[in-house]
Amino acid sequence: MGRLAIWIVFAVVLLVLPQIFDSVLSLSIFTQMTIAIVFALSYNMLLGQGGMLSFGHAVYFGLGGFLAVHAMMMIEFETISFSITLIPLVGGVFGLLAALFIGSFSTHKAGTVFAMISLGIGELVAASSLILVSFFGGEAGVSGDRTYGPPFFGIDFAQDDHVYYLAAAWMFFAVLCMYLFTQTPAGRMANAVRDNPERAEFIGYSARRVRFISFAMAGFFAGIAGGIFAVNYEILTEENLNAATSGRVLLMAYIGGLGFFIGPIVGAVVLTLINSLLSNYTDLWMLYLGILFVLTVMFLPRGLTGLLMMHRVAWQLGRMRLLLLPYTLTAIPGAVFVLGMIAMIEMSHAEEAEFVYLGLALSPDGYGSWALLFGVTAAAFFFLRRTLPRLREAWSEANTLPRLPRQEDGHP
Amino acid sequence: MSLLQLHNVCKSFGPTQIIRDVSLNIEQGEKHAIIGPNGAGKSTLFHLISGRYKVSAGEILFKGAPIHNLEPFEITRRGLARSFQVTNIFPLLSVFENVRCALLWSMGYQYSFWHLLSRQTALNDRAEALLEEIGLFERRNIPAGELAYAEQRALELGITIASGAEMILLDEPVAGMSHSEAKNAVALIRKVTEGRTLVMVEHDMNIVFDVADRITVLVYGEVIASDVPEKIRGNPRVQEAYLGETPHA
Repeated sequence: MGRLAIWIVFAVVLLVLPQIFDSVLSLSIFTQMTIAIVFALSYNMLLGQGGMLSFGHAVYFGLGGFLAVHAMMMIEFETISFSITLIPLVGGVFGLLAALFIGSFSTHKAGTVFAMISLGIGELVAASSLILVSFFGGEAGVSGDRTYGPPFFGIDFAQDDHVYYLAAAWMFFAVLCMYLFTQTPAGRMANAVRDNPERAEFIGYSARRVRFISFAMAGFFAGIAGGIFAVNYEILTEENLNAATSGRVLLMAYIGGLGFFIGPIVGAVVLTLINSLLSNYTDLWMLYLGILFVLTVMFLPRGLTGLLMMHRVAWQLGRMRLLLLPYTLTAIPGAVFVLGMIAMIEMSHAEEAEFVYLGLALSPDGYGSWALLFGVTAAAFFFLRRTLPRLREAWSEANTLPRLPRQEDGHP
Repeated sequence: MSLLQLHNVCKSFGPTQIIRDVSLNIEQGEKHAIIGPNGAGKSTLFHLISGRYKVSAGEILFKGAPIHNLEPFEITRRGLARSFQVTNIFPLLSVFENVRCALLWSMGYQYSFWHLLSRQTALNDRAEALLEEIGLFERRNIPAGELAYAEQRALELGITIASGAEMILLDEPVAGMSHSEAKNAVALIRKVTEGRTLVMVEHDMNIVFDVADRITVLVYGEVIASDVPEKIRGNPRVQEAYLGETPHA
């Protein structure tokens, strides 16, 4: 019943969120999140669940999206007639067809071979999209209008909140299906093949067929994400199926945590926030995203979700209190250090003579400002070096108990 | 008719011939051991039978049908399962999931994505019974990669027998174990292979002479003797192959 409760809470949150944060910006961010969540989870069916590193997952997102826009245009010109609410399914079906075709030869091997084929296919499709103008619309892309077709219970999706609820409903459906897939024989064998493809063959399964099924599923759900994108933005361009989009979905899944079902959801939420909020404040947000990714790979191989899950033992032992003070003591110099580094990065990038940062007027041309920032950052670093060992001590104290029963791994 | 028949099987890697013209029959219900000095080609022979390698010449028949051109998963589905010399499990999956995955095909689930595993009572009961049998029930929820070595070997055996295969190939099932661990492992092997055909590669002569009904001696890729244990013990060619030493039983 615990599981069911989680799903109910999830649905309620989706319904209530736009009532609490009701600005145009937040609504737009929520819709972006739904798209990112479906896309990132579909990606994790390959990487986290199936052990297939893809550099071209945007192909299925993009192709699904393009077909969805074309379907919207056909509804507009009354070539076909069905409700706009089904557009994401059109994207899904086309993503599935594309994945069935490409997966038939790319899933033969995992590892480098698979990664290189995915990269090649990604480049191929992105390049063709600029050449095949009649379908992809060249540089300008193709655009449609979601307000045509038979209205859905009187709703014509002219308003953004209607689009959000449609997107959230599809997202809920897709997340549920992807979760259930992990609980089926095919889903579990995908994990087995990820762990040890050779052994899988000796218990009666073709590793290739198992990968193919995961790949097709991943294509289907990526296509659904593309379809939701098409309904929301009413335009698709080459950018939606190129390597940058493929790279972004990899970052989402990885930063969130590949080993957990909710990992990519966390990653999608965090990256959407960075993407849409941080980009208002700085041109350099991509740099910070890159740094976040590198730090995750180096220090948090299980992602942000893994970082949270690390605290499970201390939580169950009721020892979170032990960590509170060391965390605070580390967080203060830590925050100063990070802010100092950001200030220096931003200042080196500033073009005006005066650079305002956190209410401070700094001058990029003067030695004084640089010396101040450098001094503060260095001091923070010095303090951080002293507080970290204490945090480590507190951590081991909070997590050790004589003869602690072995913890179950959070792996799917 | 023999359950497994090898007719003039050869295997070469480039110019090197590893298996030379091996012919062998293994009868239903037999416990058969393959012995021989290091590099004799014992593991290669297993790889050929189980489909991991393709034969260079000759044929292999299982239940009268040729299997030497089949993929490993097709051979497994026909009822011939194997274990590995180096432990070959699913390290990130829990011990329970390892065993359950090994049961899936034989219980007819194939590539299903419309069955929820948690609802498959018969499957889950069988997985738990199997865990009891191999003595890993208590450890069922931890990742298989975290098991101790002897436990991983037991799991390896569990995965191998899960499908209910008629014929089991075990490649050095007790290698690297302490004396007492090996003793337990042998008892376990006896128990779980009861009523099935067993072929095993093993170095420990005590175990070989204890378990096997028939022994085949492989030297430089050739079968130099295949007989009941007593006759193998007295065979001069076998003694010669083991550097003049009598296998101490």
